[in-house]
Amino acid sequence: MRGSLVFTALSEENIMDIKKKLPNGVLKFLSGYQVKSEDIITYANTDMTLEGEFARGYIILTQNKLIILRSEPDKSEVYQFKGYGSKNELDIRSEKKWAAKYISIKEIDRLEVIRSISGGVLYYSEKKEGLESGPDIQLASFTNMMIGAVLHIVKLFSILKEKGELTEDSIKMEEKEEYCPKCGSMYPDKERKICPKCMDKKSIFLRILLYFKPFIPKIIIMILCYIVTAGLNLIWPYMSGKILYDKILSQNAEFLESLGIPGINYIIALGLVVLVMFLTRITIQVLGIIQGVMTATIVPKVIMKMKSQVFQTMGELSISFFNSRQTGGLMTRVLRDAERVTGFFIDGIPYLIINIFTIIATAIVMFQMNWKLALAALIFVPIIFTISFKMMPKLWHFYGRRHRAERSMNSRLNDNLTGARVVKAFGQQDSELKRFDKNNQRVRSAEMSLVNFDNKFFALYVIFENIAMIMVWGFGSYLLLNQSHMELGILITFTGYVQQLNGPLDFMSYAFRWFSDSMNSAQRMFEIIDAIPEIREKPDAVRMNTMEGNIELKDVTFGYEPHKPVLKKINLKIEAGKMLGIVGRSGAGKSTLVNLISRLYDPQEGEIYIDGINIKDIAFKDLRRNVAMVSQDTYIFMGTVAENIAYANPEASFDKIVEAAVLASAHDFICKMPEGYDTVIGSAGRNLSGGEKQRISIARAILADPKILILDEATASVDTETEKAIQASINFLVKDRTTISIAHRLSTLRDADRLVVIDNGEITEEGTHNELVEQKGVYYKLKELQTKALAMRGID
Amino acid sequence: MKKNDNNKLIDNTAEDEFNLEKMEKETEEMLKLRFLTKENSVFARTEGGFVSLKIGDEFYKRVLVYRVFPFTNPEGYISIREPDEKAKEIGIIKDLRNDVTKETREMLEEQMRLRYFTPVIEKIIDIKDEYGFAYFDVVTDHGPCRFTIHMGGSSVVYLSDTRLMITDLDGNRFEIPDITHLSAHELRKLDLFL
Repeated sequence: MRGSLVFTALSEENIMDIKKKLPNGVLKFLSGYQVKSEDIITYANTDMTLEGEFARGYIILTQNKLIILRSEPDKSEVYQFKGYGSKNELDIRSEKKWAAKYISIKEIDRLEVIRSISGGVLYYSEKKEGLESGPDIQLASFTNMMIGAVLHIVKLFSILKEKGELTEDSIKMEEKEEYCPKCGSMYPDKERKICPKCMDKKSIFLRILLYFKPFIPKIIIMILCYIVTAGLNLIWPYMSGKILYDKILSQNAEFLESLGIPGINYIIALGLVVLVMFLTRITIQVLGIIQGVMTATIVPKVIMKMKSQVFQTMGELSISFFNSRQTGGLMTRVLRDAERVTGFFIDGIPYLIINIFTIIATAIVMFQMNWKLALAALIFVPIIFTISFKMMPKLWHFYGRRHRAERSMNSRLNDNLTGARVVKAFGQQDSELKRFDKNNQRVRSAEMSLVNFDNKFFALYVIFENIAMIMVWGFGSYLLLNQSHMELGILITFTGYVQQLNGPLDFMSYAFRWFSDSMNSAQRMFEIIDAIPEIREKPDAVRMNTMEGNIELKDVTFGYEPHKPVLKKINLKIEAGKMLGIVGRSGAGKSTLVNLISRLYDPQEGEIYIDGINIKDIAFKDLRRNVAMVSQDTYIFMGTVAENIAYANPEASFDKIVEAAVLASAHDFICKMPEGYDTVIGSAGRNLSGGEKQRISIARAILADPKILILDEATASVDTETEKAIQASINFLVKDRTTISIAHRLSTLRDADRLVVIDNGEITEEGTHNELVEQKGVYYKLKELQTKALAMRGID
Repeated sequence: MKKNDNNKLIDNTAEDEFNLEKMEKETEEMLKLRFLTKENSVFARTEGGFVSLKIGDEFYKRVLVYRVFPFTNPEGYISIREPDEKAKEIGIIKDLRNDVTKETREMLEEQMRLRYFTPVIEKIIDIKDEYGFAYFDVVTDHGPCRFTIHMGGSSVVYLSDTRLMITDLDGNRFEIPDITHLSAHELRKLDLFL
């Protein structure tokens, strides 16, 4: 045994660790019962009573005792579950009164956990004389948050009982919660160390900006256009107000002199003003066109980049990611979110800049012209901005809701289209329509509440704008009547400015909404981009150009959900070039086993070796090239027959493709199709029968020419005759390669060198066909049943 | 008539222990439901906090108690199973209210209390939505709880138009039996999922 250290020599560090975490109150309580802290091997928290109330407790394993501590239920205490709470908050209240139960380890015969929906119950049975053990006795109950630690204790107990001692390696528990170093709160997903609380919207914003980095020159041109436009916009009211009224219409001689054209006709001056005004408009339009062109070149590129990045990460993610999410929901993310994100950045931000710029510049000019009037016109601007900011979280909410409504509608649609055949067969179109309508309604109401909210927002802005206008007119007229130095032109210019402010202000009302939408989508997009695949290639992965095909599984334990093993301690050795048949009930774990060998999942415990190298160390490329699987659910991609067969090796020659198809007994039916190997199949093309699809997948695997071939019910949906043909080709195929074949029909496994029977996640029988028949176990029963069943129908 | 033919065939081929008839009987048994009532079965509490069952000459020193329709019919169709991993069904209680005694009903409900432990949310203090997760701060019938859920998957499920089941990161369950009983303020917090 590696690092075989008797537990009594527990290292200093480990003692520290335990002391640090078991609260002092508990340690003190234990010392009152002669339990010393250095005797404690490990412990688990519990959070329920056996009556089903929340209450704190501990399960403590010492070298010779199992100690159960439990406090009284306390409804005033807050119970925090995974993801909530921070490091410093744990075990704050340890000064409880404890009820304790001590059991000597020697007295325990079995220690097990019954799993319930939200947790589990620990129970034991006492050793008794004779064969029978004592009755099962409940010890403690706990929620799912604690179950990992409790199961660890159960495991340690069994090692301790079996071997009498524990190594330090086994005591270490892998699954420890991790905390954000910044704010100390627990990571909801310890694989992906992102603290949702510390991830603020600002950093999302900056991350998106990075996507625009390659377009900096173009963006600078755009910004210049915006600035010039904003400047020109300022000139317009000035020309049509102050210059026109106060200088030209009032025939101001000084003004003409200042222009350097004294004494000319005012008509010419008027013409000049009109010309300048005209040119201003033209320039604004031209600049508008230029920035439009820039937008059109940047936006699609950024959107494309985002989409392919999301798609790429999705491709790298493990199968489990896809199993836990709805396809429709994922589609929404790829398709819509990228567009929503960029929309704001490219159309929104520049306008935002220009509008803020316009507002500030206008304000300055107004204040310089007449500060009293300016104050009257602008006093409301800060107020509506504050209100807008306050409303932002609400908008965020509304967008999130709309997204979820859309997502569930998409999922429903996806579900329905995929299952169209079943819907039709059972004549359920009407009820499906009703269900769809329900989702549709939800999207509508989400959209409606958004629009409603938006309208309120907009109304607020319009009201303030109008009040500002009225105030300028009223206050301006008052000044005009009472003050000699106030001119009509100034008032007209002012109203022009106020009117011009309406545009930017209206935009701001929209910008808040737009920003929320964009950030909301961005967050969802980054959620995917940041996701870390569970199965990763090691940075220094071993390259294996050729494989022999020796497979070895050592103590492999695996479950799709933590703590619910589907495979238990599987040990299996397959020699290179041999064929292994796997038999077992449905749900016994056969497909799971081959999924592990092709590394679609990683085992939770134990290791898998190919040619003596751990598959976790093998480069993905080599592993995938050398291991091919024909699974029970075949998938045909959109494309021609030839493309589908050559999926793993697109460069394959015609010879190879035809050869593979012949070996898979697919050549015949392919030739009969009008376009032969060029027939487009898959979702957009010709329909294939189940058997035809299966033969194409077999051809695909044959062409890939793997060293390890996995056949998972590969011939389940072909007729007996075709199966025989494929069987023959498989016989040819299995030469020089390791084959693992799963089948219900035992005839398929006739040629297997060795067979294993898997039941309930364990290998129950192992040997050649003859050996297994002699054992008269499950295999024998199955064999007899199948031959009898055939005999009954007068076949065979 | 055909059956006779079959039997003959079996006699010819099965010289050993293999018995098709026995197997068929087993299969037939698998297809039948056995209903447990106070007439044919006796449940009793064990000293370890479990429940034992006696039906005729069969005795199980510990049984598992499952609901078949935990949401839509929690008091009907209670499945009683063997305690090992395969959890083979022993029988079904069709109606917990009428088919068994009050004591039996109580002890079975005790067993199910742990298995179907689901705090009922009585008050929502706060729900925060952050970067793909939602943080719940609530008061349940078992006391105040704080938990976290995934926003992406199916963590919040509608059992009916008004009944919500919420599953946290670890698979712990929380229930809101009727959202119409929540205040407008609480509903607004829950808006994320409505």
